Formats: sequence, C-alpha cells, structure tokens
Amino acid sequence: MVAAGLYLKRFYTVVRGEVLVLPSRIIVALFFLVLLGMPLISQNPYLIRVIVLASIFAILAASWDLLSGFTGQMNFGHALFFGVGAYASAMLNVHLHIPPWGSVPLGAAAAVMTGLIVGIPCLRLKHTYLALTTMAFPIILMGIVFALPDLTGGELGISGLQRISNSLIVNYYIYIGIMLVLCTIMWKITDSHTGIIFHAIREDELAVKASGINTTRYKLMAFCLSGFFAGIAGGLYAHYMRIAGPSTLEVSMSFMVVIWAVFGGIATIYGPIAAVFILFPLLEFVRFWPEYRTLIFAVVVLLILLYMPEGLIPWVRDKIEKECPRCKIRNVATRKTCRVCTAVLD
Amino acid sequence: MKRETFGWSFFVTVCLVIFMSVPVWGRTIKIGVIGPMNFVQGKGHWNGAVMAAEEINARGGVQVGNEKMKIELVKADSNEFLNVTDATNAMERLMTQDKVDFVVGGFRTEAVLAMQDIAMDYKKIFIGCGAASKILCDKVGENYNRYKYWFRGTPFNEYYLVATSFAHLGVAGAAIKNELNVPVKCAIVAEKATWAEGMVKAAEGTIPKMGFELSGIWRPSPVATDVTAELSAIQKSGANLIFTIFSSSVGITFARQAGELKIPAVQVGINVEAQKDGFWEATKGMGNYVFTMNTYIRGVEYNEMTKPFVEDYYKRFGEVPTYTADTHTAILQGLVPSIEAVGSLDSDKIVAHMENREYLVPSGKVKYLKDAQGRPTHELAWGPGYLTSLGGQWQDGKFVGVWPNKWKASPTAPEVTYKGMVPLKLPPWMKK
Repeated sequence: MVAAGLYLKRFYTVVRGEVLVLPSRIIVALFFLVLLGMPLISQNPYLIRVIVLASIFAILAASWDLLSGFTGQMNFGHALFFGVGAYASAMLNVHLHIPPWGSVPLGAAAAVMTGLIVGIPCLRLKHTYLALTTMAFPIILMGIVFALPDLTGGELGISGLQRISNSLIVNYYIYIGIMLVLCTIMWKITDSHTGIIFHAIREDELAVKASGINTTRYKLMAFCLSGFFAGIAGGLYAHYMRIAGPSTLEVSMSFMVVIWAVFGGIATIYGPIAAVFILFPLLEFVRFWPEYRTLIFAVVVLLILLYMPEGLIPWVRDKIEKECPRCKIRNVATRKTCRVCTAVLD
Repeated sequence: MKRETFGWSFFVTVCLVIFMSVPVWGRTIKIGVIGPMNFVQGKGHWNGAVMAAEEINARGGVQVGNEKMKIELVKADSNEFLNVTDATNAMERLMTQDKVDFVVGGFRTEAVLAMQDIAMDYKKIFIGCGAASKILCDKVGENYNRYKYWFRGTPFNEYYLVATSFAHLGVAGAAIKNELNVPVKCAIVAEKATWAEGMVKAAEGTIPKMGFELSGIWRPSPVATDVTAELSAIQKSGANLIFTIFSSSVGITFARQAGELKIPAVQVGINVEAQKDGFWEATKGMGNYVFTMNTYIRGVEYNEMTKPFVEDYYKRFGEVPTYTADTHTAILQGLVPSIEAVGSLDSDKIVAHMENREYLVPSGKVKYLKDAQGRPTHELAWGPGYLTSLGGQWQDGKFVGVWPNKWKASPTAPEVTYKGMVPLKLPPWMKK
C-alpha cells in the first residue's frame, strides 16, 4: 500500500514536471487518454472503425516520415511496403492458416526484406531520381500480383482473412495499442543516436561520411525500419478489412501518405499521425456533401500548405510554445523566461 | 403586442413546417444504395433505385404484415474506384448510422468483397448490382450461414459474360461464311488491362474450336488515341472478324479509325463506349456496324416489362439504362415481393423466400442457382428463358438489337428471339 502510494506520488511528480509544463505534451497525453477511453464514451461501430483505420494509416504515415522526413530518402512508392505487408499476411493467413499474431509480424518481415531489396538499388540515387524510382516499385509489384492470380488472387485480391479479434472493443484496443506503441517507438528512434544520424544524412550526407559514419548502412536501416512499420500497418489493414487487394499498392495510396505527412509536418513523426487523425475523419465528416468531398479535402490541404508551409502541427506548436535561445528547451509561449536556464525568451 | 403576435406566428409556422416534414406514414423500409456516385455506374445505381422507390410509394408502399410501409432510400457514395477503404466506411455507415434494412449496389469486386463482409456481419441482405466475379456467390455456397444474405442482382457472372461474347462471335462468323462465302479469320483486340486477361486466354482457346482461324492478338493501351498501326497489322493478317474487349476510351478510337480506314472486318465483342448513347457522335458516325454486348436497347423487349422500364427511364433521365440501373429490378421485383410474401423485414425469412423464387424482370427471368453439391449460391441463371443480355449493333446512327435472333444455345435448346430484333449487317466494304 505504501509502495503504491510512493509510485503514485512519483508518477504525479513526473506528470507535473514533464508533461504539464508544455501544452504539446498535454495535447499528446490527452490524445492517449481520449483514444484509450473512447469505448467508455461511445461504442458506435462506425466511430470505432474510423479510429481504427486512422490508427493503421497513422503508423503508415509515421513510417514514411521516418524514411523520407528524417533520412531524406524521398519515397513516392511507400504503398509497396504497405502492400507487401498486406499481401504477405493475407497469403500466410489464408493459404497456410497462420493466425494473425503470426501472419502480421511475418508480413512485416517480408516488408523489411522488400525494404532491403528496394534500398540497395536506391542507394545510388537522390532527390527526384530516387522519388521516381521508388514510385515504380509498387507498380512492378502490382504487375507481379496480376501475373500470379492463383497465389495473389489477381485483381480480386485475397479475401476471407481471419479477424484479429471478433470483439469490437478488443479489436479496438489491439489496434490502438499497437499504434501507440509503434508510433512511440518510431518517435524514440528519431530521438536516439540513430535518429540523429538519420537527420544528419538528410542535412549533409557528405559531412556524415566525412565523420566516419557508414551512411550506406544507415540508409538501408532506414529503408528496413520504415518497411517494418509500414508492413505491420499493411498486415493490420488486411486483417481488419479481411481482404488484401491491388488497391493497397495503388499510386494513390503512396501519394495519400505523402499528403498526410506534408500536411502534419515532415520530420516530426507526431505531425503525420496528427494529420491522419484530422484528415481521415474529415473525409468521413463531409460525406453529407458527397459531390464535393474530394474538393473540400483538397482545399483544406492546399490552404494549410499555403499558410503553414512547415505543416499544421509545427505551426501550432510554434504558436503555443517558444524555444529558449540559450538551452534550446521548449517553454509555454506565455512565459517570459526559460523554465530551466531562466534566460529571457523574447 | 405586435412583437408578441409576430412571435406566435413564427412559432406556429415552425410547428407547421416540422409537422409537414414528418412523414404521414409510420415506419419506412430503409434501403441503402451504395455505389461510386460520381461515376456513371453509381448514377445508374441511384437512378434505378429512385424509379423503383417512387413506383412503390406511389401505389401506397409495401404491405408488411398488417402495416403499409413506404420505401426510403439512403444514398451512399462508395468512391470505390479511387479508395476501397472509403467504400467499407460507407457500408459501415449505412449499417450503423443510417440503420438501413437492405442494401443494393456495389461495383468494383475488391470493394464489394470487403463491403459484403460488413453487410454479412450485420445480417443485412445485400443485392450486388455491378460486380460480375463468381467468387462473390461462391462464398454463399461455401459458408451459407454467414453469406446467405448476399444475392447477385446484376450482371450474371463473368463466365456467362464470356459465353455470351462467344455466342456473338458465332453469329458474326456465320454471317461472314454465309454472305461472303469465305473462311472466318478472327483477330483478338483487347485493351491492356487486367480484367481482359482471362477473356483473351479463353478466346485464344475457343476461337479455333469454333472453326475460325486466329489471325493474331493485339493489346492497345486502354487510353490509346491512335491505333492505326494495330489496324494496319490486322488488315494485313487478313482478319474479317475482330473480337473487341474494350472498357475504356480506346473503344472510341478503335471504332472511329477502323471506320475511317474501312478495315474489311466486323467488330464484335465488348465495347463499353459503344453501349453509350453518345458513341455515334464520338466516332463521328465512323462507329457504324460496331457490335457490342448490352443489357438494354431501346426498341428491344425481353418481355412485357422491358419497354415500360426502358421508356420510363429514358423519359426520366434522357438515356437508356445501363445494367447498374437494375437496382430498380432488385428492389421492385426482387426484395419487395418477398417482403410482402413473408410479411416481415426479417432477413432470414426473406432470404429463404427469395432464393426459391423465379420471377420476371425487365431483362429476362431471374432464378437463383445452386452449386454442384446442391448448395444455394444466389448466382443468377443464364441462358434461354432466363437472363441472356443482348447483342446490339450500330446501324446508320441507331443502336439496334441483333442478338439473340433465332439463337439456340445448344442443338436441343429452344430457339430464342426477342421482340425488336433486326438482322446483323456486315460493313458493305467487306463485300468488295
């Protein structure tokens, strides 16, 4: 009892000292709480569906940001990893009867292998050339899918996949839990030593090489890591939809990921996640005006990019928080002095 | 005082408006119409359903036990050509937000497969009006208890579509033999698209069996704007019959350029562009003698129900109905009589009644099939006396029906000719 009280006191101290000091951290904490508490407020299957799908796409968008945002390896064919994850999970589940807890990680492993295969020829390419080359890969895979209809189901895809859980709420918590864990891992990666090297490669690869760092290894690692997370998203999507079809490899899927990331803010991880949780429900919300749904979506994205070129979330963050010019610690915008070094903020 | 009077008047007006907007009848039967509403296929879904609902409501509604219920349609844009996830969200919304009793529509198979699962989760009858893939009905046979709420509304499955195309080829081949007294040499021209792959393979195997010589296979892009190279090669190959498999704009390009070059061959098969009323203008009259499969043609009657439906549709929407407009049939002749017969909206009771019925529809007669093990598949029967579709040909600016015209599916089968059929015409430049 005493130990529990001590833990609670320590938890409160951490929350007060680390979370409540910054509005962005409060928002993230609220996001976690709202997602985890949603079934207590409403168990509407439509709402749950929208949140679950947004969670899957949030993993996908964040995985793109890890590769293209942080490492600067501009990937316009991210649907490849998503599609490989979806198809591999579907084939393992339907043809070999491997349950979802096995098929999803194995699908992600297949996506990692794909990341390696795609990454090697892409190492020599940069900028536009890299973007165009990566765009070709999902199209090639789609050709393979159509060429092997007995295995892949051709244009019909592979249907009849097993659900992760038959309970709406259990399913919800599994998807939300996986999303929160994976996105936190991605965020921690970008905050780690490896993440700093990823960032440095994007800024000046030559300088990183000159520092004795094997950039080839790190770039391949970025492809594999991104492939892993996108592959998990693909596997989860296939099991949720109960079908893995050619639409998972379509060019529009690749571009949607880029739109989410750019809208939310590149090289942030949380930006693309927030963007998915804004844009995906927005598309559902404007169903009352079906003829103009896509137009409304496009106008919203254009306006945001026009007035907030760095993305929505960095813009909001800069409005509510200030960075200390001396110690680089972030402070709430209303403060006059830094909360750590007491330097004047304005 | 004046202000008070105004306040009361306003209150009474609001009450009246609310009172008038509440339907005078009790519960309604909610039918979800799902499809790609910004595309011609979705428009067909909606138009057909609207006509059916208006017709039923005009006669007082549906008799469900002791209660008379009106039909209320709920439009759901599946956006399935662009986004399959969107389609499933639309279906979930129909089930849980709009709380529909039945659903009709769907087009792209990948999306319909995903939507089918959602409808089955909620045990709601879903009548597919667009996707031709057999797999949708195979599921009913394989897992009846789960998938029994799925019915195929239109079209008949892909295998029957291919069989119909070959019947059309046979008619054209026979005309060439009889009128020109020359052996038939057939070229296959299919757009480079996945859906055409199976048909090309089937045609490659079947054409020689039909006694025709296969002169070659050409695969232009679905959006090609110039096919003169292919046409020159086809002419050089000596082909006098061209089996077309087009669903995109290449159908217009190919027909127009073949007409301009007066290629001495008749085009037969599937050309979706040629099914549209604007084809004649689009080809500037060069699409004359193009023969394509279609479901409805003005002036052709499968039975006594065809003409009223086609003419009413034409009057209302200014075009001949496409096959996705058979949501009309699905509601009017499929669902409603079964609801009235069982006197309930209970899906299980309606399924049990619907799967055993045989009934006339404007495009023939509906009968639901069973598989080899005798399990219901809710697959549509194809053939003489049931659904056959039509073969239409552009003849001097008019799209006319040419098939089935004294058609026998097998030597022992009854001869089929629908009212309004005219003989197939070979392009006059073939006779030189």
